[in-house]
Amino acid sequence: MQRTANSKQTPTGRPQAQPTTNTQQARAPPQMIQNMARVTDPKHVPKEIRDQFLKKIHFCSQPYDFNDDTKNVKEKQERSQYLQELFDLLKEPNFVANLVVPHLDLIIEMIEKNIFRPLPILKKTATNGEIGMEDDDQLIDPAWTHLQPVYEYFLQLIVNEQPDVKSLKIFITHSFIQEFLELFDSEEPREREYLKNILHRLYAKLVPRRKMIRKAINDCFYTLIHETYKFNGAAELLDILASIISGFAVPLREEHVIFFKTVIIPLHKVQTCQFYHEQLLRCSMLFLSKDPTLATFLVEGLLRYWPFANSAKEVMFLNELLEVLEVCEISKLEPLIPKLFKRLIKCIAGPHLQVADRAMCFFENDYFLTILKSYKPFTFPLLVPVIAQIADTHWHKVLQESLNALKTILKEIDYQAFDKALNNKDPKYLYIIQDAKNQKKDRQKIEEKWKNLTKQALQKNPNFKEPIVPYSDTHIVGEHNGLNNGNITII
Amino acid sequence: MSENPFEVLKEDMENEEVYLKVNAMHRVKVVATLLGSDKIKSQLIPYFETLLKKEDDEVLFALAEELGNIAQIIPNQSICLLTLLEQLAGFDETVVREQAVRSITIVCGFLADNEIANTIVPMIIRLASNDSNFTCRVSAVSLMCPLYARAGNQKEKIRQKFTELCSEETPMVRRAVATKIGEIAQFMDKIHVIQDLIPVLKQLCQDEQDQVRLLCMESLMNIAKILNSGENKTNILPLIIQSAEDKSWRVRLALSKIFADLAEAVGKEIADSSLIQIFSNLLKDTECDVRVIAVKSLARFIKFVSPEKLNLIVPLLQLLSKDPFSQVKQNACEVIGQIATLLPKEYSQSKLQQQLIDLMADDNQDVRRNAAKSAGQFAAAIGPEALNQFVPFLKKCMDDPKWRVRKETMQTIIQLALTVKNPDVFNKQLESVFVMFLKDRAAEVRSMGLSQLPALIAAYKQEWAVGNFLSKCVETLSKDVGSLYRINALYAIQQISFAVDGPVAQDRLWPIVQKCLKDTVPNIRFVSIRVAKSLSKKIDNQQTLNQIKQAINELIDDPDRDVKFYAQEALQN
Repeated sequence: MQRTANSKQTPTGRPQAQPTTNTQQARAPPQMIQNMARVTDPKHVPKEIRDQFLKKIHFCSQPYDFNDDTKNVKEKQERSQYLQELFDLLKEPNFVANLVVPHLDLIIEMIEKNIFRPLPILKKTATNGEIGMEDDDQLIDPAWTHLQPVYEYFLQLIVNEQPDVKSLKIFITHSFIQEFLELFDSEEPREREYLKNILHRLYAKLVPRRKMIRKAINDCFYTLIHETYKFNGAAELLDILASIISGFAVPLREEHVIFFKTVIIPLHKVQTCQFYHEQLLRCSMLFLSKDPTLATFLVEGLLRYWPFANSAKEVMFLNELLEVLEVCEISKLEPLIPKLFKRLIKCIAGPHLQVADRAMCFFENDYFLTILKSYKPFTFPLLVPVIAQIADTHWHKVLQESLNALKTILKEIDYQAFDKALNNKDPKYLYIIQDAKNQKKDRQKIEEKWKNLTKQALQKNPNFKEPIVPYSDTHIVGEHNGLNNGNITII
Repeated sequence: MSENPFEVLKEDMENEEVYLKVNAMHRVKVVATLLGSDKIKSQLIPYFETLLKKEDDEVLFALAEELGNIAQIIPNQSICLLTLLEQLAGFDETVVREQAVRSITIVCGFLADNEIANTIVPMIIRLASNDSNFTCRVSAVSLMCPLYARAGNQKEKIRQKFTELCSEETPMVRRAVATKIGEIAQFMDKIHVIQDLIPVLKQLCQDEQDQVRLLCMESLMNIAKILNSGENKTNILPLIIQSAEDKSWRVRLALSKIFADLAEAVGKEIADSSLIQIFSNLLKDTECDVRVIAVKSLARFIKFVSPEKLNLIVPLLQLLSKDPFSQVKQNACEVIGQIATLLPKEYSQSKLQQQLIDLMADDNQDVRRNAAKSAGQFAAAIGPEALNQFVPFLKKCMDDPKWRVRKETMQTIIQLALTVKNPDVFNKQLESVFVMFLKDRAAEVRSMGLSQLPALIAAYKQEWAVGNFLSKCVETLSKDVGSLYRINALYAIQQISFAVDGPVAQDRLWPIVQKCLKDTVPNIRFVSIRVAKSLSKKIDNQQTLNQIKQAINELIDDPDRDVKFYAQEALQN
């Protein structure tokens, strides 16, 4: 990988002087390694080799403007060469033990100077940002080819067994981790991949630093949830977390349970959730495998943060909900049953076909049907009338068929309860499919009451200002915009 | 009829739809007014307690807001709302807790000083010391600002807690502190600002997170405002210097953004002696976004330094006008225009005029547009003698392929014409450029010229309007094949007609319009009808009026529907 990066970097048309310096440098590493091999007493590295090594480290610590390919061409090439050499030398155990480890401070400093930088805003070159078009073009940081060798070096350094925990620990401080985590916001996916691998290995290796790393990751997520709502590296961090979580001992410590409740669950509500939902789901499920009692909290969270006017996210939530429900203990679900079934019935009766379809899938799940049966007194009066009605009227044929199938299933479960529920005219359960006119009438009744009350308030206090309500029938987006099933009013 | 208000609220809150619940929540003040303070305490507040656990964030957000409204209904007993609000201030959802903080501030407005000391201050300290929930601590920081002034003998306690939170490990809290430190300083005695806040501000300005450092910038400015020159020099200036060299360009950008205000805040003396130098570095920053913003601030910054120091900026402007990044140049144009009003004429002419002229021929259309705009300002600042040099280039700009550039140029020309108000200069230099609007390809440019015509006629009188200008219109009407140009010229004639007296309209304008009434293009015919109609309002001579009437009458049977319509309309009234 390193080699290809280098060869790419040498386009034709460079000044004539370049090739000569190049070949000189190219010969250096084997020579250095050979020199090293000749050293009989490994404790005493000859001064010249050490000096050469330190010179290279120092050279690589110099900052250059990597965004402009025309500046410092020669130095940049030299730098790449040196990095390559340093990298090759990591393969020599003798060398690592006697040069790298004693000079770890300089090496880490070199790495810090290279990678700890304010992240650039990558500008899209193409301006044809047609709305709704999928933008598959990856943004590429021009500095990446120069950063990649440093990352590769860092990764190999950590993987290498010789720098032990004790010597590495000193450098991996709180502020190091903090800065390192900030890099995860990079828009360059390859950089994030390296960051992920490095952090993962650091976590594995530096046992005494684990708690600190976890806390820093926590803060990162808090910032995402509460302040920025966007963080490019969320998926990568969750990947790392997934393996961290797998390592948690059972029963879970309180600290981890708090993490689940204050980070994992609220992460669902963030607008950019779809970018990391896959990883989030994995983390959630891992937590639940360690402690199934957490499942009810997650169900509660999902129902609480249910997406609004975002059907793609709704489908993701439905997928997750079904998976989580399977872990729940049925008896613990009781307080959530009304909210759960109301939400499902809303999805089924809603205007979005995919959402409705996903919601219907719940009824193919045996465990879910057991839940449904266990809370028959509530679920039947809610489900039966709605399902029965839209099974007759649904506009989509396939869905109508499955609705009919569901009707049969419900009938088979308990014929008597089904009949009873079908004749139930309690508006509390029927509101979803209620006729728009009736709905309006009901609404008007209570609006009338409010009007009267407002009048009274005005009588009582002449200075009273009428309250302004934020939503009216004509300006609510999404599912509240009057597009209820069977009642399509264009506003 | 006599509904129980509390029951109505509860009924409405049973609703399934969140938006209806939010609506219901916003009607709480109706209920509160009717219930009165006793029942608010005994019924409403316990009911709200139950909502906290089960309701959606949207509803709680509304609740937090309405609690502030209830406070206004029962000002003397609003203290009872604080338990609820304190809980909301510790909530997870950002908008809910921010709203809760606002409502707490409202409640505090109704409280006596001893209540603040006995209830509010302990509450703030409680929130600030909540170790398990950073949200509480963030809310505490927001509460300290408005309430510090009223904390009486507990100010010290709050100060201490505030500075304590500055060294907090959780970055969210540090960010909150960095945002608020400038605000709370406004309420503190100066001695405490210097003794307590400055040290922590220094610390925050060196925070490991660039977000924190970035947020400090605004606070830095606010604190600079309350310190005197000497204090600023010892306390604020080092921080500005340090931030201008920050390794994160985001921080440098934030600093560039506020640099003009900062200069205003620290005063001319420091601005002259130190800020110019620091700002120069920002203007030369390696990151182009920083330069863009810095140049933008520069336009205001130059007002806050002594004019004699401006010559330090000029070389930079020369550099910036050649920047590889077009947005920098674009903003630099503006500064060149501004700075010309402050510099001695000869100096700006010798140092900046050529730059501006070069910018008028830039590759980027936005740069050219801004340059054309600034050229007006520049030329106006220097006086009529500069026009000689600019007009040829403005004329060139009127040939620009981009209409936006031409529109801006047209505006510049008009502005110049209106500021110099000298017929000689106008006739010699500007008029020839101005009349180009008659033949411009873009409707925007033509209508721009047209809209400003009345002002120009007012400035340069009838003689010009029916003299040179009218002949240009006639030229367009007779030579130009494009009907849109002719329509435009006709409207120009209509504008002239508003400004001239009857005989002129009759002798000079009517014959032209008369010809146009017979044009082959229907649109021109009906525009002519309208122009003829406005001419007839000026003309007293019965014979001519009859002529007009007759000419329009002939069009009443026109094959074109629209012409017919306008002819009929014209004859009716």
